[in-house]
Amino acid sequence: MLEDVGEVTEAIPIPNVNENVLKKVIEWCEHHKGDPPAQADDDSDSRKKSSDIDEWDQKFMQVDQEMLFEIILAANYLDIKPLLDVGCKTVANMIKGKSPEEIRKTFNIQNDFTPDEEEQIRRENEWAEDR
Amino acid sequence: MLMLGLRLEIISTILEYLPIRDLCSFARVSKQLQEMVYDDSRWVHKLKLMGIWNETEARRRFEDAMRRRRAVQAARAAEEGKKALENGVKTPNVGLAGGSPAPGVSRSSTLFDAGEEENRVQVQREASMRRAELDAKRRTVAGTITEGIDFMNPAPLTPIDIPRPGIADPSSLLKVLPSIKSIRGFARHEFGRIYAALGPLYFDLAKAKTHTDPVVFRIYRDPEQQAQILAQLKVFALCDTAHGWMDRLERLDLMIGIFENAALREFEGGYETGDTDGRMRRYANVLILLNGGQACVQLFVQKHPVMFERGELGNPMDSFDKPMPGSFSLEPSSLFFTRLSALLHEQADVIDRVFPATVNVMIPFLERVAEDVISEFVTPILDEAHDRDIEQYLKAVAGIYHQLLEFAKTIKATNGSGEKFPEEVMKIMGRVFEAHVDLYLQDELEYFRKKCEAEVDSWEKKILEEDAATESFFMSNINREADKRDFLSTFKKVILMPVSAIPSPFSAKSASATETKPAETSPDASSNSLSVQETPNVSRPGTPVVPGQAAPGPPPTTELAAKAAIMNSRLEGIRSLFSLEVALNLVHSAKSSLERAALFASAGGQTGEEAREQCEQIFIALLQVLGPRHVKAGFDKAVEHLSKYNPREITEHSQPGVPPLVTFLELVNVGDLIQQMIDVFYEQELVAAKLTDPRDFLNPAAKEKKRFEQMLDERVAAGLNMGIDVLIDEVDHLFAITQQTTDFNPGAIGDAGLRDFDIGPTKTAIQVIEVVSSHTKLLTGSIDKNVLDVFNQEVGIRLFASLCKHIKRQRISVDGAIKLISDLNHYHAYIATLKIKPLVPYFNALRELSQIYLIDPSHAKQMATVIADPNRFGGIFRVEEVYEYATRREDWYRVKKEVERAMYGIGCCIS
Repeated sequence: MLEDVGEVTEAIPIPNVNENVLKKVIEWCEHHKGDPPAQADDDSDSRKKSSDIDEWDQKFMQVDQEMLFEIILAANYLDIKPLLDVGCKTVANMIKGKSPEEIRKTFNIQNDFTPDEEEQIRRENEWAEDR
Repeated sequence: MLMLGLRLEIISTILEYLPIRDLCSFARVSKQLQEMVYDDSRWVHKLKLMGIWNETEARRRFEDAMRRRRAVQAARAAEEGKKALENGVKTPNVGLAGGSPAPGVSRSSTLFDAGEEENRVQVQREASMRRAELDAKRRTVAGTITEGIDFMNPAPLTPIDIPRPGIADPSSLLKVLPSIKSIRGFARHEFGRIYAALGPLYFDLAKAKTHTDPVVFRIYRDPEQQAQILAQLKVFALCDTAHGWMDRLERLDLMIGIFENAALREFEGGYETGDTDGRMRRYANVLILLNGGQACVQLFVQKHPVMFERGELGNPMDSFDKPMPGSFSLEPSSLFFTRLSALLHEQADVIDRVFPATVNVMIPFLERVAEDVISEFVTPILDEAHDRDIEQYLKAVAGIYHQLLEFAKTIKATNGSGEKFPEEVMKIMGRVFEAHVDLYLQDELEYFRKKCEAEVDSWEKKILEEDAATESFFMSNINREADKRDFLSTFKKVILMPVSAIPSPFSAKSASATETKPAETSPDASSNSLSVQETPNVSRPGTPVVPGQAAPGPPPTTELAAKAAIMNSRLEGIRSLFSLEVALNLVHSAKSSLERAALFASAGGQTGEEAREQCEQIFIALLQVLGPRHVKAGFDKAVEHLSKYNPREITEHSQPGVPPLVTFLELVNVGDLIQQMIDVFYEQELVAAKLTDPRDFLNPAAKEKKRFEQMLDERVAAGLNMGIDVLIDEVDHLFAITQQTTDFNPGAIGDAGLRDFDIGPTKTAIQVIEVVSSHTKLLTGSIDKNVLDVFNQEVGIRLFASLCKHIKRQRISVDGAIKLISDLNHYHAYIATLKIKPLVPYFNALRELSQIYLIDPSHAKQMATVIADPNRFGGIFRVEEVYEYATRREDWYRVKKEVERAMYGIGCCIS
């Protein structure tokens, strides 16, 4: 990213990211700066298989939801792929094992299905349920 | 809606980390999320991960639909009916996985109007919007499905109007993966079918503690079915990207491993008890169903007795010292290959019985045999041979390789060995020799080079030992071209035959070819001369041959050798310079080396390429030894002799030839012959055998060949240059010593009575012409026509110059002029035979010039006219020159005044 900009002495403005979030992001980056670089071949097609989130990251992500999403957005905006992944995984873990109603509650999503529709879509997805 | 504050792509990323179950729960949260989850590409991707999404099939289906849409409306209904029927037949009904209780026990099989449904799909495709398609699918699905499992049927395309079995029988699950279709817009559908079928088994297996736990092994008792379902689960695991996939995969692999081992044990048991058609066949099948059966193929190959009992096939050391110490024979290895071939034949049958045609067992088996049996046999032989003798080694490599190729051809293909079996076999066999080829090719080249040099060296030594001052002799009468053509045609014939197969029926008879040599008349030799050999020289008694010079030696054994002997006997004169025989020997050994190496060139691949290059290298080596080492040295020596030649030192001039020049010209001849030989060799051995590409001008072999030819041309040119000098020197010398003063001035001695009125050329003229013509003739047919013309022209001009000088030294009387005229006519006639146009005016002018001597002294005026007429001499002589010639008149001082007055006086008058 910096290479694109070239050599500049004045500050690079980062809109959309507030100070607290940026601090978090920098903290994460500081911790992970020694990591081996990701393989270059992770092109979008072969979507990576998920692996565990390491302990430090788990702790790091123990923030309120708003902050979590802010970090994800910031990571996306700043193109920090590993951080984005960690964020997404964290969110995925929050979804895991929850019923639709619980998910709605967790993320504060409104149910816009009619009861009929809800029943229908439940049936449509019954095949994936645990038996 | 905090969540939706995130970008869609981020949510999409999050979804990727979700297990299927949670993904479906997520879809139920809200419409927008449902849309995202249902996005077809997500599911296509999952199918792709499993490797069962067929993009071309999907496209074809889509295009089919488009085409159908364009079809006539009226025909549509009927067509769709038919298609619906087909689909109905094709699609198996996928039931619920056994062992898992079906939710929603009430199952009302829904009938719906196939035509209408189809129409709807078609119409929506017309819009060709995925969104619409998805909607349609959802609606369709929603409308037709009463329980989760039913959803798994691709309802819109396969209307089902038959009652489905309550609890799907487990065996239908075995086919779930192959039954998946690639339809755009229905990827989630199809994935659902797989998931419902395999998901429970998969997660159950992943949780299992021991190998007896998993449901899979309880539902399916049959090993074939177990193998099938495990193979499917393995594929299914590929799409499991959710958290913890590694553990699950590990567990699955573990289970598969346990199962595989058990099956392998059974297979092995069958192998040991020889139960080919029973246990072996069955478990081979099981293992193939499980994972392609590589493990059992390997086991089969490894356990094969041939690997352990190779000693019984033959002992590599048998090839040596039998029948006598130090000898090497290919017999044992041939026996070895025969035995092995029989054994493989047997094995091919066994393989056909045990394994189905879908697996290729023969190739791995052969690979193993090649590695463990053939290599083990061949390597000691070659190593031993290499230690003993290089030549033996070279022969062994080529011989065994040839046997190996023959052997490879006898190997019987099995049902499963595929179409490319012969090529694969060749490749495998090629690998056996791969390690040896490099060394071999190197040795071959080295050996060849050494042999060549040894040959040339020994020849040189021999020549040194013999008297270096070889007597040259003259062979002008020989019909050179015919001989050469004859020799070359024989050479060509022989070169076409493989070295080893050269017949030797001519052994005793060939001596007859040298009939002209008194020393070599063995009784039976002269009695039956070969027809091919009769033509060249029998009827040529004039050929001077030094008696006793032809060493009989061992009689030549081949036709070619016989021919070479003839040529050699003719070319005795240049014996000391270079020898055709040596060249022939070199070419011969090059040929045998090439033939051996060419065997490998046919192997193809990198080895073949290397072998090809090596063949070119051999050819280059041949040229290098033959060229600079042999021919060039000979030429240099000949040129040196030429340059040293001084006609005044030699008293004997009876022979109409200059010995070193004759030698040299012979040399040119032989050089040309060798070059043609090389050319034939190149064409036949390298180009025809596709060892080199003649069109590739950068090719080292072609380049070297050009260089060789160039070298030859250069030498010839240099020699010819020298040759002309020598020739003219000789001519000058002849003029100086043989021309008598009385020739052109009969009155000089004063004895008028002895005047010779014989009209004809003088002895000198005849001799000069003889010398010149005999030399120029020698070159005919052996060098390029252009070069020959240039040479002749040069000779002519130099001869002209010599003549001019010569005339200027003479005193010519009126009587002698007749003699001179006839001399000059003689020269002119000779020059005319050369057919060199530019030369003719010179000799015409000479002829004209001679007339000034004929004019009677009393006609001084006319003489002056002749002298002053520049047109008369075609511009060759200027007036001053003619005047100079005129001064050579014997009576010049008497007529001088008159002539000069006539010349200059006339001029004065006019002015």
